[in-house]
Amino acid sequence: MTETIAFQGLIGLSLAMYLWLISAGLTIIFGVLRILNFAHGSLFMVGAYLAYTFYGQMGLPFGVAILLSLLGTGLLGFVMERGFLSRIYKVDEAYQLLLTFGFILILDDAVKIIWGGVFKIPPIPAFLEGAWPMFGKSFPVYNVFVIAVGLAVAVVLWAVFEKTWWGRIVRATASDREMANAIGVNVPRVFSGVFVLGAMLAALGGAIGIPVRVVAPGIGTAMIIQAFIITVIGGLGNLKGAFLSSLIVGVLSAYGTLFFPVFELFFIFAIMAVVLLVRPQGLFAR
Amino acid sequence: MSKNFTALGSIVVFTVFLFPGGPAQAQAQCKLGVPSIKVGVQGVASGPLADYGRQIEMGATLATEEINAAGGVLGCRVEMRFMDDENRAATGVKNTRLLVTDWGANFTVGTDSSGVAMALGPVLAELKRIQFFTHAATQRLTEELVAAKGIKEIVRVSAPIYQDAIVAALLFKDRKDIKRWATIGADYEYGYVAWNLFKETLRKYRPDVEFVGEAWAPFLTLDFSPHIAAVMAQKPDAIFATPWGGEAVQLLRQALIQGVFDNVQVWWQAMGGSVDVLEGIAAEVAKDRFKGKLWATARYIHNWPDTPENKAFVERFRKRWARFPNYSAETTYSAFFIMKAAVEKAQSLDTVRVLGALKGMQIRNPAGVRVFRSEDQQFIYNVPAGRPVIDPKYPIPVLGDLKVFEAKDYYRNPPFTPVAITK
Repeated sequence: MTETIAFQGLIGLSLAMYLWLISAGLTIIFGVLRILNFAHGSLFMVGAYLAYTFYGQMGLPFGVAILLSLLGTGLLGFVMERGFLSRIYKVDEAYQLLLTFGFILILDDAVKIIWGGVFKIPPIPAFLEGAWPMFGKSFPVYNVFVIAVGLAVAVVLWAVFEKTWWGRIVRATASDREMANAIGVNVPRVFSGVFVLGAMLAALGGAIGIPVRVVAPGIGTAMIIQAFIITVIGGLGNLKGAFLSSLIVGVLSAYGTLFFPVFELFFIFAIMAVVLLVRPQGLFAR
Repeated sequence: MSKNFTALGSIVVFTVFLFPGGPAQAQAQCKLGVPSIKVGVQGVASGPLADYGRQIEMGATLATEEINAAGGVLGCRVEMRFMDDENRAATGVKNTRLLVTDWGANFTVGTDSSGVAMALGPVLAELKRIQFFTHAATQRLTEELVAAKGIKEIVRVSAPIYQDAIVAALLFKDRKDIKRWATIGADYEYGYVAWNLFKETLRKYRPDVEFVGEAWAPFLTLDFSPHIAAVMAQKPDAIFATPWGGEAVQLLRQALIQGVFDNVQVWWQAMGGSVDVLEGIAAEVAKDRFKGKLWATARYIHNWPDTPENKAFVERFRKRWARFPNYSAETTYSAFFIMKAAVEKAQSLDTVRVLGALKGMQIRNPAGVRVFRSEDQQFIYNVPAGRPVIDPKYPIPVLGDLKVFEAKDYYRNPPFTPVAITK
């Protein structure tokens, strides 16, 4: 039984890393731009489709395909932010919701036109095949890879925001954009940079899963709801909160599947409801 | 005689030269006195299951083209209009009302989701229009809405959930080495009923079998790893899995990398015989990664039956669309020909008269002979179960090692006893 519990925890950890990658971008964008980007799931989907094209169709190495997908989705993010979102920062928030919701519809249809309605699933790269024996069972190398990528991103993001000049500027802009502007920070450029970073994180979440999760129109919608729940639990705009609440949600839902299979669906929503009642600002908000 | 012949000839010449292939030609000859027979078609055309609706649309389009090329129905041209129901009951209902009331559909065809189908039932009764259902599988559609509540506007052409569940029980009842079954189920009515029907049927033959674990995955699940790990912790001998479409493919791939096929004797992937699933697992089948333990069925498979009708249909379908027909394409295609046969017999588009004409109908379709059962208005036909294999005749895997059960042995019979629709 101990082995089963430990193994399920590891599975939950890999689930948590996917959740972390998508909610990290969402929460960073909200923290700095104050925009709740409904289309964040669509960026996840576009990242997955681009990685599929580079890896599954053009036959490029998996790592290269992921990098190209990040660049492509980053570019799309740049166009979205500069061309559209930047024009509505000053108006009512409802317009932001409408605009980003519009992007969901446009991108969902666009991928259907470009890639068709049939789901795609490329082969698993040879170096990620197989499993490691853990707790008397086989833990897939693929899940190890996902955990490693998730943790690496957490470390890199922490280093960027805490240790670099750019990170300090971003944090300054997030806490007071007018003051940042007054001391000479190019706020629009910071906004673009942050949005592109967020888009790339979403794309990474989409791209790393393509050989084990299908790429299909609509997968973005599946992810965005979970990402929202995680950012709400962790505190909107709080990166550390997003990481910790991804862990909580990922691991708890894996245990939910093991111990309470009948109520599994209800778990994640129950956690959110309790957090909203007890600490509406999020578990890890300061 | 010769006078008539000349007259007929001049009409033909007149219409061919002045209205080449145009609607006026059909109109002039239509014995039902309508400009055209309108058939409204619906399916899921957006989201991850969009290909099922697309297959419905392709089947409907091909049937419409072929019927019209052969002179229509009683000389009347068939007109088809496809709409996306978005896998939502509200959209499906709205579409049906629009198709019937505004567009003037004489019949409706299609519907992938059981939830949408159940919502359409009462609306069809109110609108007094027949829908030929071609994918939705819940037994409640025919057992509850038709047989118990008497909604005669529902006719189902496709195989219901008996195919997914009862066939599996018959297939594995003699496997004495399998004593422990677990499910990774679709977390909605379809998944619950399939598992309940399977358990109920298997228990009759094998009181010694235990049902040791269950994990439920909602629609749009991307990661099945926790579900797989949870049921494998119960050490089952066999898995009964109901996620379908792309979800079936990622479930199987995630099961492979957790080494499940080293530890179970059988994995039943109910609708794994669907063309999109077979395409998705092609590489794994070619490498025999499932070790012959994966079994599946569908509501039609393009490589069975081995009849000239079926072969010709598959060939025409591939020529038209460069794809293999999935089950929702065949059932929809056949629904059009069932509609044609019924209208020709009834000599009318009237709902009651067409329903009367369906009584006792036996019709040869690509899927084989379909027999109409009046009590629940369900067409009955066999679809085999088998293992995905590579066959050099086809570019994608097909179901092979086929086991055929007589449909009358696995379709439930009236009077129906209710099946639990809960987990």
